Amino acid sequence: MITPEISWLAILPELGLALGAAAVLLVEVQWKPRAQVLGMVVAGALTIALAFTVVQWIRAQDAVAGAGQLGDLVAFSRMILMDGFAVFGRFALLVTTAIGITAGWRLIEGLGRRRAEALALILLASAGFSIMVSANNLVMVFLGLEVGSIALYVLAGMTRSSSTSDEAALKYFLLGSFASAIFIYGVALIYAGTGQFEILAIRSFFSAFIVTSPGVILIGIALMIVGLGFKVSAAPFHAWAPDVYQGAPAGFVGYMAAVAKIAGFAAIARILITGLGDLEVNWLPVVAGISALSMVGGSLLALVQADIRRMLAYSSVATAGFVMTGVVGGATSGVLFYVAVYALQLVGSFAVVAAVSGPANSASSMDEYQGLATRSPGLAAGFTILLLGMAGLPLTSGFVAKFGVFSDAWSAGYQWLVIVAVLASVLAFAVYLRVVVNMYMSDAEGPTLEVPDTARWVLMIAAAATIIWGILPGSLLDLASSAFPL
Amino acid sequence: MVEPILFVLMSMAALAGAVTVVAARNPVYSAMGLLGTLFSVAVLYVLQLAHLVAAVQVIVYAGAVLTLFLFVIMLIGVDKEEHWEEPLRYQRSFVAGMAGVVVLMAAGLTFFTDFDWVPAAVGGTDPSRTIGTVQAIAEPMFTDWVLAFEATALLLTIAAAGAIALAHYRRRPH
Repeated sequence: MITPEISWLAILPELGLALGAAAVLLVEVQWKPRAQVLGMVVAGALTIALAFTVVQWIRAQDAVAGAGQLGDLVAFSRMILMDGFAVFGRFALLVTTAIGITAGWRLIEGLGRRRAEALALILLASAGFSIMVSANNLVMVFLGLEVGSIALYVLAGMTRSSSTSDEAALKYFLLGSFASAIFIYGVALIYAGTGQFEILAIRSFFSAFIVTSPGVILIGIALMIVGLGFKVSAAPFHAWAPDVYQGAPAGFVGYMAAVAKIAGFAAIARILITGLGDLEVNWLPVVAGISALSMVGGSLLALVQADIRRMLAYSSVATAGFVMTGVVGGATSGVLFYVAVYALQLVGSFAVVAAVSGPANSASSMDEYQGLATRSPGLAAGFTILLLGMAGLPLTSGFVAKFGVFSDAWSAGYQWLVIVAVLASVLAFAVYLRVVVNMYMSDAEGPTLEVPDTARWVLMIAAAATIIWGILPGSLLDLASSAFPL
Repeated sequence: MVEPILFVLMSMAALAGAVTVVAARNPVYSAMGLLGTLFSVAVLYVLQLAHLVAAVQVIVYAGAVLTLFLFVIMLIGVDKEEHWEEPLRYQRSFVAGMAGVVVLMAAGLTFFTDFDWVPAAVGGTDPSRTIGTVQAIAEPMFTDWVLAFEATALLLTIAAAGAIALAHYRRRPH
């Protein structure tokens, strides 16, 4: 009798999320409760999952310090990991999920009886992306990617009353399926070339052998970069981002974009830096090119947008480019720090968008932000902090994150990329400043804005995190730097 | 000698079916093209000794999934007028040209360079691993790959919840 190798601790966070999703659906069917009750079930599931990631974190740090076995961190027949990198990624995902649900709460309440499905889909998406950040096997990466993405396609189409939401969901679904197919083709070619699905085994393969004609492996790497580049909306695979960010319900967009970015970059960092680090001469120039194109193209296009959501979409393309400089620099922890910090700012920004133009609405013209400072001073102040954080102003967390990845890319010998990145940062600065000027320097139109409490909390947390980690980055930087992959 | 001949025949049939899927104007023909592709790929699986996968391919895909497709096509209506104006002109010919370039490049790589399709096949020749019986597949599926197997359960839950979330919407009567 052969028994599978099971270590529960490694999957308890995902299990918590999945059981939470099941509980939400069953509670809804059985009792049809008020939205707050479902919210409490979700909060319980997220708390349990977070608690288990803390346990995993302690276990991982002990193992690295020599108090435990490093092999204990590789679980389920080497399918899934709980090294520092995976656990930090999981933690960032769970926090983003909690804040994302809070930010979208008004929308979820407004969905009527469909709110249970929406909450379950959010939890399952997070479970999928959580598998993706901690997978050691390329098949598991793909499964996590699909579980997460398919749930996001549905979330993009949740507000059925507007056709833009349907359009966003359909576009996201069609293009996303192609990207996933391209990714899995890349995985298949890597398997053909190395005979391995495991990221750690692929690393040992390339440190043991020199492949004389690696053509098929190179095609595989290229296809995987395309597939994952799509998920993090890096140029030139970003075409879906503006339409989806604009069309999907504002209450969900922040969450959708943030978790996809965290998981996508965690997978990119683990596959490229850890798994294929020995082949970096081959992929570094490609990733550097994508990075430069995303930064410059994203910033330029963001500058000319008349809709704030499209602006945020293009600025997230630019941010994907900035994070990619960290991949070029080989900085796994820098990449993770940047996306974790950016995820909060993104969720906060879309909480503002949802508060200003309605959580289910799809058009969010820049004009609506004119004189926002007089219509709702708190909202404008919080949004300003988040925008400056995204721009990377000193004394915000965005600056620390950018400085980290840029310095790594510089010492990796990619000085030209850092110069391009700094120039693009200046450009991005103009993008964000335009909104700030719009909010403060023009006359108010319309009445005082009614801001929901949930949006206020989200904004306060995100803005506080942006400033605190900007002035005292030590605590999070320490955490991120001990979050290296095996 | 049977193997390469079958391989070439079935690959060509699979390609022809795939082209039919995208090129046919009548969706029923597209579905039939898909059926051809699925069957030919099933034969290719048999050539690789993956009997169970071949059987599953025929039963699940050619049987169940394709029937579902046909149902949907019939429900929507086969004889409806379709708009065939392309928003981007020469889109199809451009795609066909690109496909030709890719095929030519692959052929060039294969025949004129030292390109190696399987550069470092380390595993794979263990005969017990290449026989795709039910047992040979079930064992790894429920031991080494059990987590991947369970993760697909999340996909099914998402499919159910997502279908309800999207279809349960009712426009308020005004």
